[in-house]
Amino acid sequence: MSVTIDTELALLVDTGTAWTKAGVIGRVRGRWRLVAHAAQPTAWGEEELLRRLVEQLAATADTRLTGRFHELLARATRVECRTAVRPARLVVVAVSRELSGSAARRAAEAAGWHVVEMVTFDDGRTLAERVALLQSTVVDAWLLAGGFDEGRSPRALEAAALVAAARRPGGAPVVWAGSSHLAGEVTALFEDGAATAVGNPRPDARRDEPSELRAHLQALLRRTVAPEDEERLTQVALPRAIGALAAATGFRVLAVDVGASSALRVLAETDGTTHSRVHARGGLAGAALLPGAPGRVSRIEVDAGEEPAVADLLHNLRARPASVPQTAEELAATQAAARLLLASLVEDGAIGQLDLVVGCGRTIAAAPHPGQAMRMLLDGVRPVGVTQLAVDAGALLGPLGSLTEAEISEGLTLLADDLLVPLGTSVVSRGGDPGRVAMRVTVHRAGWPGHGPVEVRTGQVLVVPLPRGHEAELTIELSAGVSLGAARRSPRITATATGGTVGLVLDARGAPIALPRRADDRRAVVASWSDALMREAPPGSERVA
Amino acid sequence: MTGVIHSVTLPVGSAPVVAVGARVQPADVLALRRPPTDGVTLQIAAPLRRSASAARECLVARPGSTLQRGDLLASDQHGREVRAPHACLFLGYDPDHGTALLSPLGDEEPIVGHVRGRVTRVTPSAIDVRVAGAMLTGVGGIGSAVHGKLRLAVDDEGDELRAGAIDSEATGRIMVGGSRASAETLTRARAMGVAGMVLGGVLDKDLRDFEATQQRRKEGGGVVVGEFSVLLLEGYGKIGMDPGVFTWLRAHDGKMVSLFGDDARLYVYDATPPPVRRLLPTAGDHVVGTRRPYAGAGGRLVRIFPGLHVASSGPAVRAGLVRFEDGRTGIVPLANLEATEPATRA
Repeated sequence: MSVTIDTELALLVDTGTAWTKAGVIGRVRGRWRLVAHAAQPTAWGEEELLRRLVEQLAATADTRLTGRFHELLARATRVECRTAVRPARLVVVAVSRELSGSAARRAAEAAGWHVVEMVTFDDGRTLAERVALLQSTVVDAWLLAGGFDEGRSPRALEAAALVAAARRPGGAPVVWAGSSHLAGEVTALFEDGAATAVGNPRPDARRDEPSELRAHLQALLRRTVAPEDEERLTQVALPRAIGALAAATGFRVLAVDVGASSALRVLAETDGTTHSRVHARGGLAGAALLPGAPGRVSRIEVDAGEEPAVADLLHNLRARPASVPQTAEELAATQAAARLLLASLVEDGAIGQLDLVVGCGRTIAAAPHPGQAMRMLLDGVRPVGVTQLAVDAGALLGPLGSLTEAEISEGLTLLADDLLVPLGTSVVSRGGDPGRVAMRVTVHRAGWPGHGPVEVRTGQVLVVPLPRGHEAELTIELSAGVSLGAARRSPRITATATGGTVGLVLDARGAPIALPRRADDRRAVVASWSDALMREAPPGSERVA
Repeated sequence: MTGVIHSVTLPVGSAPVVAVGARVQPADVLALRRPPTDGVTLQIAAPLRRSASAARECLVARPGSTLQRGDLLASDQHGREVRAPHACLFLGYDPDHGTALLSPLGDEEPIVGHVRGRVTRVTPSAIDVRVAGAMLTGVGGIGSAVHGKLRLAVDDEGDELRAGAIDSEATGRIMVGGSRASAETLTRARAMGVAGMVLGGVLDKDLRDFEATQQRRKEGGGVVVGEFSVLLLEGYGKIGMDPGVFTWLRAHDGKMVSLFGDDARLYVYDATPPPVRRLLPTAGDHVVGTRRPYAGAGGRLVRIFPGLHVASSGPAVRAGLVRFEDGRTGIVPLANLEATEPATRA
């Protein structure tokens, strides 16, 4: 009598615009574990992806299943998310560039729209040029803004008339986010149902209230790019997974996902509520568009090469998004660009104290060395305070987020061992005098002799080895003028640090990081920071830069 | 004839002048439009003998509407009227001065398709043309649509296109360069009336310097004649052209082509299909590198390593051993390679 051995598998797939990541979840000694993982350019196709997964399963799984992996994967429960392939295009037409225009643009980009043009009355164009430009632009939505809520601005009405003149009847929807007094007049310029009025993001000169506009634009974007498959969009799924993670752990979590084309930031509160922002041009392809990006990259990364070479590299990231950096210079420049993108991702809106920062996207989560991932997150996000850092190395969070809420929670529990790769804990301080001691940190580990106090000087990064699965109690003494973000009640702060592939990072470089003016000094300082995070050190010793 | 459909987007207000089935040449006019001109104001309140604010109630036309000459703009119950003095866009009413803001429509302008083929669809927003040529796509470019005859300007795919190669014979042509064209070369080409360039690579710095030169010339009141477009086939930097593509372009020297820099697309008419580029090469394939240090270099993929290989920069990726034609041998991530295949006749 022959006995057929069977097993149950789940296939989690995260399809990005440039790369697809897939993980196979299977039972290992009664527990659900990640048993195979593959990542490849999306254009290589599903068949190739499955072939790679089968190869891995064949090498590690029960030999009695040999020859059946294709079949097992074909009937595996498939859980997937994907980045919208087509960027949704939007034009902003506003009265002024600095007030109504910039507020509208920020809200649109934070909702995931690609702002292809911005037309304002102070943009230096003639009226004819403005009309001609709008008449030639093909868009998925028009965003109109102008005027404070108390006033009745004729210029704001003129902006609306520009769009009415340039838009085809029955064309893309119009969103009025200007003076509430003008809402009726503006919507009357368009056919019934074409224009919607939402709350003014600049109701007066002193207030910014973009949340209603952003929420409306997010909903409009989902209807535009994926009306039938919204739950599987990464920009919907990842926030759901991060929200569930925050609720399950009681942590305040920030997740940052820098992809090939767009970037996503999710801030989840301890009760599971989330605030997410998609930056349509915030991915690596958008690095070339950041103001002065090549110069900034060569300034913050000594190994990135000269500015002209970095400029070419940044354009090539856009031209060939699925390719990988093959030289050390290109990798350094790519990671420096990711740090800039992260900084721009978190710059609008105060994030406050965080318990956990999660890095997603291949550049961060699949960095060749965990110290590189740690540096991108630390330098880009600057999480002031005591924060755990981890990466979504298996790209599992996005697919999990496409499940129902109960299934997400179950998935987080079942995959606890494989979901995140912890990098360690950071203590990031702000303030202090250059060269002077910023903080003294004593590390207590159960069963180990006390370590320290370790002195960290302003401008210094220091790594204390703390392996994954280990915990340590920290006693932090801050010098005058130095803070960890929150108000200090006592001269000594105690905190718990959990270990990871990098360890405990004591970072007194301030926020934002101040770099020396002289090029030679800058090179030396930046190299020492990188060295501290990358160097392997024997347990019990600290790595100083 | 290829299966490529090229869509010519029409600005709002355009009127197509071709019908489905029509055969068109690159220089043919596909539609006409009257572009808006700079704004003028027209008194509304005074002819209606009302205050500026009260006259607003008399507006008949809706802001944003297009008016023909003589169309009614405003009227009152006494029979007083204000009509559009010429065809225009009505863009707003100023309640402080009692004036309407109009953008008169200018003289009719042609919209040229820049492609050869047969019209397959005509809508108010676009005209689709089935292109009668072979299509070559690149990874980037600048400039709008141009067309002209192809002219090879270098001897080898790795050569740099020098300013000295741009002579009076180049006027109106699409020049084929090799690995780079400097800002000086681009500026000279533009000044000599070259329509466009096809290059393996170009330095971002050269492109920015060139664009800055053109901007300064415009601001200084200089005349910039015609359009100019650049197509990049391999990437940014000094990158040689794929030898197979270069040979194919050489074989079609003198043929009519259409170049769309912003869309990174080139159509070559009366041409054989170009060499095909394929992702995910297999062992034995002829390949081209797409990233430094092998960007643009052609060679043979000798073998693919099983499993993952740690690249020199650190990432663990699928990789293969490539013997390049320039004598180098290297281990290259498969994601940085494209297989090249001779064209199959369509």
